[in-house]
Amino acid sequence: MNSFNSGGKGESQSASGEEILARVGELTRLLNNTWHSVKFENIIHQVALQIPNTRDRVNYVVKMTEQATERVLNSIDIAIPLQTEMSCRALQLETEWQASMLDSTLPANHQQLIANTQSFIASVNQNSITTKAMLMDIMLAQEFQDLTGQVMQHIAATTQEIERQLLQVLIDYSPDVVDKETTTNLINGPQINPENTNGVLASQAQVDDFLDSLGF
Amino acid sequence: MTTKPYKFLIVDDFMTMRRILRNLLKELGHLNVDEAEDGYVALKKLQNSTFDFIVCDWNMPKMDGLTMLKAVRADPAIAHIPVLMVTAEAKRENIIEAAQAGASGYIVKPFTAATLDEKLLKIFEKIERNGQQK
Repeated sequence: MNSFNSGGKGESQSASGEEILARVGELTRLLNNTWHSVKFENIIHQVALQIPNTRDRVNYVVKMTEQATERVLNSIDIAIPLQTEMSCRALQLETEWQASMLDSTLPANHQQLIANTQSFIASVNQNSITTKAMLMDIMLAQEFQDLTGQVMQHIAATTQEIERQLLQVLIDYSPDVVDKETTTNLINGPQINPENTNGVLASQAQVDDFLDSLGF
Repeated sequence: MTTKPYKFLIVDDFMTMRRILRNLLKELGHLNVDEAEDGYVALKKLQNSTFDFIVCDWNMPKMDGLTMLKAVRADPAIAHIPVLMVTAEAKRENIIEAAQAGASGYIVKPFTAATLDEKLLKIFEKIERNGQQK
């Protein structure tokens, strides 16, 4: 299919108009022959049939990630207040024990027990503060669902557009594919590769610098 | 830290992000928070109730964040409310548009809790500075 007879690099760069015309003519004939021999319409038809299938899969990913994220957030909503309560109560107990230690009439063996309990209570407080911080981090990490969800929406829209255009090709029985113009719009979603995309700011620091440069 | 409690409106079409922002605000001590899933719903809420702060996404169905921001700035009753954009849109054009439309701050997703805290403080300081002048 792609065994085009490309001339090779060595040939003169400044081909004459006639040569170009001949080349284009050759390609046109080749395309025309291929179109008839390969039954493009069958291939297009098959691809168009595959698209709803692909769309379902994209929707599946969206649904599953959304459900998983929701489960995580539900659990975190329960766990964080528990950790807060644990830390508060441990702190309170620690203070109470400290006050009671001032009572010198307590037997010596109790003194040791109280000291151990106190150190345990202190660790409960510390550990629940750390656990809470980890839970907050897990929660913030769930923002991936927003970002990947937006990317998935883009993919779904693109797939739908391709499907529409392929079906149009089938209807028109013409290999012309309309060029979708790439206009600059303001809804682009998360940047997949911000470092290598023009006009995109790769980090919060760059955004801040840019805003400063604008005088805001 | 601020002394006066602020009433927040979170505007984002993704429930996940609304919950995350709500939790982060709660952790920073802001418990008075309402939510809207797009700019249209947000404007209705802004007209029917008093808010002190808006945290807003850009890309949303029905009415996007930029359109909402412009509508807020155009309405004298609510034009003074600070609007912090929290969005995945990171193009120069976006940031210019948002700044010109009167955004009070701009955070690019994915973001950290520290970034949110920092931007909020910056805006609060500005509010309080302006408040003292009056």
